[in-house]
Amino acid sequence: MLSRMTHEVEPAVAVRGLRKHYGEVRAVDGVDLVIAPGEVVALLGPNGAGKSTTVDLMLGLASPDEGEVALLGLPPREAMVKGGVGVMLQEAALLDDVTVRETLEVIAGLHRTPMPVDEALRRAGVEELGDRRGALLSGGQKQRVRFAMAVVSDPDLLVLDEPTAAMDVESRRDFWRSMRDFTDTGRTVLFATHYLEEAEAYADRVVFMRAGKVVADGPVAMVLASVGGRVLRATVPGARLEGLLGLPGVTTAELRGERAELHCSDPDRVLRELLAVHPAARDVEIRALGLEEAFVRLTAKESA
Amino acid sequence: MLSTYLSFEIRRMARSGRFLIFALGLPIGLYLLESNVVGGTRDVDLYLMGGLAAFGAFKAAIDVGARTAVERGMGWQRQLRLTPLSGGGYLTAKGAVAMLVALPPVAGVALAAALASGITLSPGGWLLTVLGVWLGTLPFALLGLVIGQFATPQNLAAYQGGVVLLLSFLGGLFIPVTEFPGVLATVAKALPTYWLGLIGRAETLNGDVTGAAAVLAVYTLVLGTAVVLRYQQDAARAR
Repeated sequence: MLSRMTHEVEPAVAVRGLRKHYGEVRAVDGVDLVIAPGEVVALLGPNGAGKSTTVDLMLGLASPDEGEVALLGLPPREAMVKGGVGVMLQEAALLDDVTVRETLEVIAGLHRTPMPVDEALRRAGVEELGDRRGALLSGGQKQRVRFAMAVVSDPDLLVLDEPTAAMDVESRRDFWRSMRDFTDTGRTVLFATHYLEEAEAYADRVVFMRAGKVVADGPVAMVLASVGGRVLRATVPGARLEGLLGLPGVTTAELRGERAELHCSDPDRVLRELLAVHPAARDVEIRALGLEEAFVRLTAKESA
Repeated sequence: MLSTYLSFEIRRMARSGRFLIFALGLPIGLYLLESNVVGGTRDVDLYLMGGLAAFGAFKAAIDVGARTAVERGMGWQRQLRLTPLSGGGYLTAKGAVAMLVALPPVAGVALAAALASGITLSPGGWLLTVLGVWLGTLPFALLGLVIGQFATPQNLAAYQGGVVLLLSFLGGLFIPVTEFPGVLATVAKALPTYWLGLIGRAETLNGDVTGAAAVLAVYTLVLGTAVVLRYQQDAARAR
């Protein structure tokens, strides 16, 4: 009993004080990140925020100037050798002269405890592409084959860099469905993406990066709340912008004709204040700030 | 693990029919052509056989190694770094394939010399010529890997072609070094191809190849170190 209580679960990813500078550019500038087993985490940020460099450093593809990385409790290279980490790189090669099945066979053959190649093909939804050579695959097919390459070692941790780039809407949905099947078995996933709706829909947790630093980290709802994430819209006859801005609890306001948009963290209170001043206000609509808006705010903030 | 990867690479190479036919056909064709034009005496034919066996072997070895530039450019090496296969394992497999591909041209030229020009050697002489040239190709397999780790898929052909051409001509594989003007003859003796050609015509030197073997061993050591250092440097570099 005691041993169970004191036993700490080894994090799937543990990054501490990670730094990488390229000349004057601080690509990664002090990143800390701990991911528990079973978490599905999205890494977000504008281009040049340091996402790819962070992923490279985590995987041991580049060496950090400072800081430490442990994957499944091991240094990256050792974790790779043990076969615990499956990786889907954005521009990972698919050899032109080799079939999909052969590629998977060789990668499976290099690992100690791979899953059957057919299962990897099935999980990635590319059963019918086994005999196709790399040169003849479309962009979306290549991405799914890369996913098969990432899972064929039967890893506990999956790291995916822009997994759905070059996929159309339908294959993107299929892709996330197969991802879900895979993560339902308790595996850990870290994925970098530009598609915020994917992060919103599939991640338990989002990590925002900007200028080499983590600027927000938490469950989607929490990150949204942290940027004051509610919007109240209403048609307010006779409203004036100064009046709206003066309402207690309103952080920013816009007015187009009679249509007002008020940003706030406590919309109930703002609604009461609004109705007290403008009893004629109608068509009231309250919604949470989308991740995209949160993203813009987080990444635009304090850019000096 | 290495054997898995090596057999994968051998299967890929076995499918490159055109490449293999060219690797074998070019030195044999050149031998037949040259021996027809300038050959006819045993000494000249032996010289041509040694030179072109060396040419065929070292060109094949360099070509195979240098082609790694294409895979490197595509990110295949990056992909492999995410598997248990070590960088050394990858380079070893590629080097082994280069050596495999280098053997048929040597044997082919020797066979052409025996059949078309009636060259006769003692069994030991044949063994020394064929095995000697083949083993002496090792530094060139490494040189190919070095080129592959430096070149990009775009400039690969220029590097590879330039190196092969310079090493062939200046190393005296086509024209005897004794015909070279003074400075060039000195340059020739610094090149590994000169010594590989020497092994190819060991018969005319009473079979003494220790000097050549020593020079090629030094080249092997230097180029082997260069490949490993460059691979590590490339692995640590940002993309």
